Amino acid sequence: MSAEEPRTYEAAAARVEEIIRRLDSGDASLSETLELVREGKGLIELCARELAAVGDALEELRLDELVTRLEDEASA
Amino acid sequence: MLDSVSTSPFPGTPAGEDAADDARPAPGGIPDSGLAGPFPVGEYARALRSKLRSLARVQIVGELVNLRPSRARVYFELRDSAGAIPCAAWLADWERMAARAGVASPEGMQVVVAGGCDYYPGSATSSPGFSFAVTDMRVAGEGDLLARIDRLRKQLDAEGLLEPQKLLARPLLPRTIGVVTGEAGKARDDIRAALTRRGWAGRLVWGFVPVQDRHAAPAIVRALSDLAGGAHAEVVIVARGGGSLADLLCFCDETLCRTVALLGVPVIASVGHHTDRTLLDDVAAVSCSTPTHAAEAAVGVDCVRARAQQLAAAARLRELSRRAVLSRARLLAALSRAPSAHLDRQRARLHQELREIRAAHRRRTASERRLTAQRALVLRRKADSAVLDCRRRRPRDLEQLALALSAHDPQRTLERGYVLVESPQGEPLLSAARARRADEVRLRFAKDTVPARIIHR
Repeated sequence: MSAEEPRTYEAAAARVEEIIRRLDSGDASLSETLELVREGKGLIELCARELAAVGDALEELRLDELVTRLEDEASA
Repeated sequence: MLDSVSTSPFPGTPAGEDAADDARPAPGGIPDSGLAGPFPVGEYARALRSKLRSLARVQIVGELVNLRPSRARVYFELRDSAGAIPCAAWLADWERMAARAGVASPEGMQVVVAGGCDYYPGSATSSPGFSFAVTDMRVAGEGDLLARIDRLRKQLDAEGLLEPQKLLARPLLPRTIGVVTGEAGKARDDIRAALTRRGWAGRLVWGFVPVQDRHAAPAIVRALSDLAGGAHAEVVIVARGGGSLADLLCFCDETLCRTVALLGVPVIASVGHHTDRTLLDDVAAVSCSTPTHAAEAAVGVDCVRARAQQLAAAARLRELSRRAVLSRARLLAALSRAPSAHLDRQRARLHQELREIRAAHRRRTASERRLTAQRALVLRRKADSAVLDCRRRRPRDLEQLALALSAHDPQRTLERGYVLVESPQGEPLLSAARARRADEVRLRFAKDTVPARIIHR
């Protein structure tokens, strides 16, 4: 397990890819494999939560309404 | 025994014309006296007059002094160093004689008079008197009195005493004026009237003195000292009306003249008529012919006229200043319009620039607004893309990662029927030797664990 828990989506995704490369190498022991799989699963859940949160926040910005209002003002 | 038979006191001289009028009997004389008489005094007086009148008519010469005109007669004395004779003349004769001599008043002059002795016998109510009845007169030249005055004048001049008073600075407008004059004289009124006409409003200090006779000069000296000292007069007027030379003699007094000459206050003399000239006139700072002139000399400024001139000057100054202020005010008003016009031009320019700025601002704002709307649109598209990324692409990637990860998951091996041997602490036992050493183990299936014991054979 890594010493630091990644806090960003990009860092978490990079760590998952690193874990997979380690598992694919066949060098990991059974117990390391178990720990890497557990860590990778947690990181994937973290990434999924980040994606959901960012998507929700982007939708909450209501950029459609802003664009409509600015276009109305510019044409006035 | 009295010589009662004698009919005249002066033998050879007829008895008085009125001797027979006294019908009273004569009293007895002084016993044992050898003198004739007694004669009644009136008779004797008339006889004396007849005797004096019978004396030879002569001319006598002397200094004419103490001239005293009366209603009908003029009395004076002729003097010299050895004696004096009282003289009298009828007023009409006197005026004729003075006119012929060419003098208004021969007082103090050496004159020759013609005439004879006369005697007024008097009466029960009037006093008798001797006089030399003058019937003609001629001026013989300056008398001793005038000569003495002239000698004194020359002496004072030689001592330089005629100048000090004239060198004193006289204030143009004195605050205090002293006046030495007779209390009842007309000079007092003249001076007061002249000062009033001048409009002078200072302090007037009077020094009333006798202005003739032997007491006059010492009194005038004292008055001058008092006025110059205690009263702090800045100029002193010594004034007296007209009179004979004898009347004015006190103003030729040597002590008085020396006092005036050394006095620190200027003295203005006005003594007698304009034809009279006393020594005081010579030593004084100024000699005036009348008290009025003396007052005008004391106050060099006609205050009334000066006030009027000042008022006129003030009025003119006020008018000129008013015009000056008015002209400058007009000039300033004209000048002040220039900045105002300049301000108007600058204000119009500023307004124009402001309109241009506002128009530019509006154009810029509209442009920026359009750009902002375009940027917002781009942003929205980017956000949509991001949302799509979050909802589709990235979850797909994550799914791939999850699948790759799950391929390595030991759980899936257990689900195919394999068993994992672990120590009681959950550590995988990867060799038979380790399992035999462990003695107690745990068998992990896909969904549960079972404890187990190693049997050693």
